[in-house]
Amino acid sequence: MLKIKDLHARIDGKDILKGLTLEIAAGEVHAIMGPNGAGKSTLAQVLAGREGYEIVSGSVEYFGKDLLELAPEERAREGVFLAFQYPVEIPGVNNVYLLKAALNAIRKHRGEDELDAYAFMKVVREKMKLMQMDPSFLNRGVNEGFSGGEKKRNEIMQMAVLEPKLALLDETDSGLDIDAMKIVADGVNSLRSPERAIVMVTHYQRLLDHIVPDRVHVLADGRIVKSGDRSLALELEAHGYEWLQQAVGT
Amino acid sequence: MLESLRQHWRDQAAALPGNAGQRERALEAFLAQGLPTTAEEEWKYTSLAHLEEAHLTLPGPVDLAEAMAAVARHAVPGLEGPRLVFVNGQLIPPACHLDGLPAGLAIESLAQVLRENDTADTLDRVVDLDRYRLARLNTALFQDGARVRAARGVAGDAPVYLLFLTLGDAEALQLVQPRVLIEAAEAASVTVIEHHCGEGEAAVINAVTEIVAQPGSRVTHYRIQEQADSHAQVAGLNARLDRDAALVCHNVDLGGALVRNDVHVRLIAPGADVELNGLYFTRGTSHVDNHTRIDHLAPRTTSREDYRGVLDGRSRAVFNGKVLVAEDAQKIEAHQSNNNLLLSRECEVDTKPELEIYADDVRCSHGATVGQLDATALFYLRSRGLDEDTARGLLTFAFAEEVITRLGIAPLAERLSGTVIGHLPDSDRLREFT
Repeated sequence: MLKIKDLHARIDGKDILKGLTLEIAAGEVHAIMGPNGAGKSTLAQVLAGREGYEIVSGSVEYFGKDLLELAPEERAREGVFLAFQYPVEIPGVNNVYLLKAALNAIRKHRGEDELDAYAFMKVVREKMKLMQMDPSFLNRGVNEGFSGGEKKRNEIMQMAVLEPKLALLDETDSGLDIDAMKIVADGVNSLRSPERAIVMVTHYQRLLDHIVPDRVHVLADGRIVKSGDRSLALELEAHGYEWLQQAVGT
Repeated sequence: MLESLRQHWRDQAAALPGNAGQRERALEAFLAQGLPTTAEEEWKYTSLAHLEEAHLTLPGPVDLAEAMAAVARHAVPGLEGPRLVFVNGQLIPPACHLDGLPAGLAIESLAQVLRENDTADTLDRVVDLDRYRLARLNTALFQDGARVRAARGVAGDAPVYLLFLTLGDAEALQLVQPRVLIEAAEAASVTVIEHHCGEGEAAVINAVTEIVAQPGSRVTHYRIQEQADSHAQVAGLNARLDRDAALVCHNVDLGGALVRNDVHVRLIAPGADVELNGLYFTRGTSHVDNHTRIDHLAPRTTSREDYRGVLDGRSRAVFNGKVLVAEDAQKIEAHQSNNNLLLSRECEVDTKPELEIYADDVRCSHGATVGQLDATALFYLRSRGLDEDTARGLLTFAFAEEVITRLGIAPLAERLSGTVIGHLPDSDRLREFT
């Protein structure tokens, strides 16, 4: 599904990704771990199409297409979804209307009919229940006045409604207490499917206790320095990133 | 202009309510000094020069059926409380309703007040005439207006709606001069919406509002301006707040060709508190100038000011926020911000905070920004599949909406949200999101 080859990216003249190579197949859940400043969030942002990053070299292929050529909204319509580390508050713009526009933009792109209000609300109510969200959410502005945990739950709720092919979760566990983490993890797990790939970017191992990844990669200094199965995350937890950097000689 | 005003005075003095001597003195003092010019620092960016040559006329009687139809087109739906309606400066009694007012809340036609019981303190009680000379022109020749008085301890909770509608006339450039006096006695509270709107050919509106807030009173004031694109409006809001009095002012400008607002609030005793919220949306070649001035004249007085602007086309906006802290006014707090969004390359904003502080134990802050939309928010919306134009429109709306949300009166907020969206490109699409 996704083939990243020797990707180099910089922002404001600073090199962040320095030759990152990674392949992800449909149905897989990957975790990308690494110390602060390693380039984890940059990778997620570059894949979703955030402007401001300069792609110096390398390529990203998504279902055989050049992903880097597409505008952020085109990527979204092609099934890429980024759950933000810091979801943005947009007062005055209703949560549900944004979600409806997002879903219909994707459906239209796929050549499907737009959902009518009734069918759409049925989906939203079901997913809100899944994420244990308060019904008052329906009348509020996008993330307006939400707590940190509510914002993260809202991101996963959006993901559940939009049913992306490639879901990128950027530090989705940060700022969550254990109960909220469980809700978020249950939500993500319910979305695991043979057609969908999920990439979790995280600093800590704890999320991986709840969402068990197929593959774990360690990102350091802009490159994947080690890949393995779930046990790699546990090793990292036990020894810390310094151990790894020494081990791989970076 | 000056000669035409004198002629009006000669022709209409007998018909104008109130103290003829006071009006004549105001006119002569105004004529002696003339209109403000761009040579004066306070008027540096805003020129009234075209009025020097204009032949201004005072509006005559209005056709009632025409007035009622215009009121139906402009009045904010859903404001069911007490209401006075003026069309071209004349009270339109069939459009007014004052039923069921709480005892102690009086809402009257100013002309009627002056005819029945003119006392020297009905006009020019608060306004600093040397600083704001346009008030003299209003005092000299205004035809009618409103007085809202809340007696001691009275809670006038339902908003008082004052609609000032200007219908421009192709044959004459009319000078329409709304006048409002709001008095809140000790511990009283009152809410007044001044809604200035208009249609038709060019007209000039010169509005003056005075607010007297006695100790412990609370006044909430709205000045909503939706004039026609051909209209010029100058408005002076002057308030004096006594001990522990609180004033909240909302100033919204969504129309007009040339607009100048002067707000002057004096906090004269400890505990007085004022909050100024402002929103302006300028388009085409419109010019909107907001000058605010808050005088902290006593210790422990507080002020907060947040003005936001959205500029498009070749429009121009000016914001000048002055805060004066007198020598003995210790432990005061004053915060001010002015943020502007520029939607086109041709628009321009001049923003200037001005702090003049003579006390040493104060907390003051100010900040101004002129910029584009938040890149992260834009990316967030696009990453959900929205095209860039829609995302930009929504974020512009959201920027304005933060001020509109603070209005606190649902029918009014709904109306203004609708006007703001209507000003944005692709408005039909944006409406689906609100």
